[in-house]
Amino acid sequence: MNLTIFLLALFDGISYAALIFIVALGLTLIFGVMRILNVAHGSLYAIGAYATASLTAWFLALGFAPILAFPLMIVSAVLVGVLLGGPIEWLLLRRIYNKPEVLQLLVTFAVFMILEDVQRLVWGTQPYFQASALQALGNVTVFGVTYTVYQLILLPVVALVLLLGLRIFLRHTIIGKLILATTEDREAAQSIGIDADKVFLFTFIVGAILAGLGGALASPTTSILPGMGANMIVLSFAVIATAGLGQIEGAAVAALMIGLGRSYAVYLWPEVAVLVPYLIMVLVLLMRPEGLFGSPGTRKI
Amino acid sequence: MLEFRSVRASIGIIEILRDLDFRVDASDTLALIGRNGAGKTTLLRSIMGFTRVTGEIRFDGTRLDSVPPPKRPGLGIGYSPEDRRLFSAFTVEENILLPAQAARIDGAETRRRLARVYEILPELRDMAARPAGNVSGGQGKMVALGRALMSGTRLVMLDEPFQGLAPALAQRYAAALRALRDADKTITLIITESNPALLRGFANRTLVIERGEVSEGSLEPAGTGA
Repeated sequence: MNLTIFLLALFDGISYAALIFIVALGLTLIFGVMRILNVAHGSLYAIGAYATASLTAWFLALGFAPILAFPLMIVSAVLVGVLLGGPIEWLLLRRIYNKPEVLQLLVTFAVFMILEDVQRLVWGTQPYFQASALQALGNVTVFGVTYTVYQLILLPVVALVLLLGLRIFLRHTIIGKLILATTEDREAAQSIGIDADKVFLFTFIVGAILAGLGGALASPTTSILPGMGANMIVLSFAVIATAGLGQIEGAAVAALMIGLGRSYAVYLWPEVAVLVPYLIMVLVLLMRPEGLFGSPGTRKI
Repeated sequence: MLEFRSVRASIGIIEILRDLDFRVDASDTLALIGRNGAGKTTLLRSIMGFTRVTGEIRFDGTRLDSVPPPKRPGLGIGYSPEDRRLFSAFTVEENILLPAQAARIDGAETRRRLARVYEILPELRDMAARPAGNVSGGQGKMVALGRALMSGTRLVMLDEPFQGLAPALAQRYAAALRALRDADKTITLIITESNPALLRGFANRTLVIERGEVSEGSLEPAGTGA
């Protein structure tokens, strides 16, 4: 492997890791706080991507500058979180928190299936491609390797900002503290006046926004087509299981491991590249069933 | 200030509280005595809204069923459950402050209440910055009491607070309750206990709960004629 290939694989891995981390962050936040594994997270990711592509195409057709794609990503993510995430928690999940985990999983899987068909109804089966945001930022050359600024710099920076921002939010704001308290002991939290229903709704919307944002940020780098949500939920589940469910910093490390593992496999052993994330997960879970950073003890995020 | 009218509560098909009718006046210190499983905890939980009841519970004239459970501490009710203690993610002081933050109480009032907590439980000031996961069981009970006092400006309910406390700590805890009583003549205290001796000389009123029914009782041993 020469330096150019090494760097290409490194950059691929980092930008890929940043994207799956953003999606996995929402998934692990929701699991950490609410103990629900939300399979529909994958659909929220896909709809975030579709919404961004459609909105961007629409505004570009009206004559707006391509740079507008960036605020539209945030708009799409928030729309996904509030218009889809809110009702999912409020109308469905709220009824099943005390039910068996299998039922919870089946309900979120049902939502996933419904949203997959909704995507086909709204956007059809033809792939969408909308790379304005990618092109707007141009390229950068590092040690002779040219890569897009969007993927090499913007995506990792956004991922880091979200990681630090979420940690600061949880630890140093009042709402964040109420979320941490509810996570650790829901009934004790309620007995001191914390409205756990509101905490769960808020947390789920934030998690759903992160899924939508992941899709929005992925949209300029890939063809948007049916099935992308299924790929992403499986992958981000591999990340959070490897890290330990509910581990926020751990998810960043696991996303890097899986992102880099996959990108190097693409160059070194392409036949197994798609398998690599799951091989990493299986290896880690065989050695540490609770994940790299998980602990069987107290509930914390 | 607290009134139960024909209150019943069931868990599944088992009736835990049967037709409770009683009232507690402001400034009462009520000992709620009963064996394990008699319904003490359920009675406190029904006030907090964690157990559904039929009938009427009134607090300061307000029907509690019209107040959603998370808003009830905001009425001035502090509750320290028996087994649920502190949040280990936070320091001791952050734990104490949480009820005020949950109820969105303003800064000045929060500081005033915190000062009151430290006045009644001065030892908490020394451990304020310690992670709540690192305090001993007995210290944890003190912190939980302090936390209940943050919202409990009218009524403080303590579920088996002496359970598992070493005798010296139990005495210290009782002294803190007396300090609270002296500092605030109008506050109402409800303390559940399976061992009546621990509350003797402190509670001015005793309710005995047995198989979900309450009756006026006494903390004195049977036969002393007190």
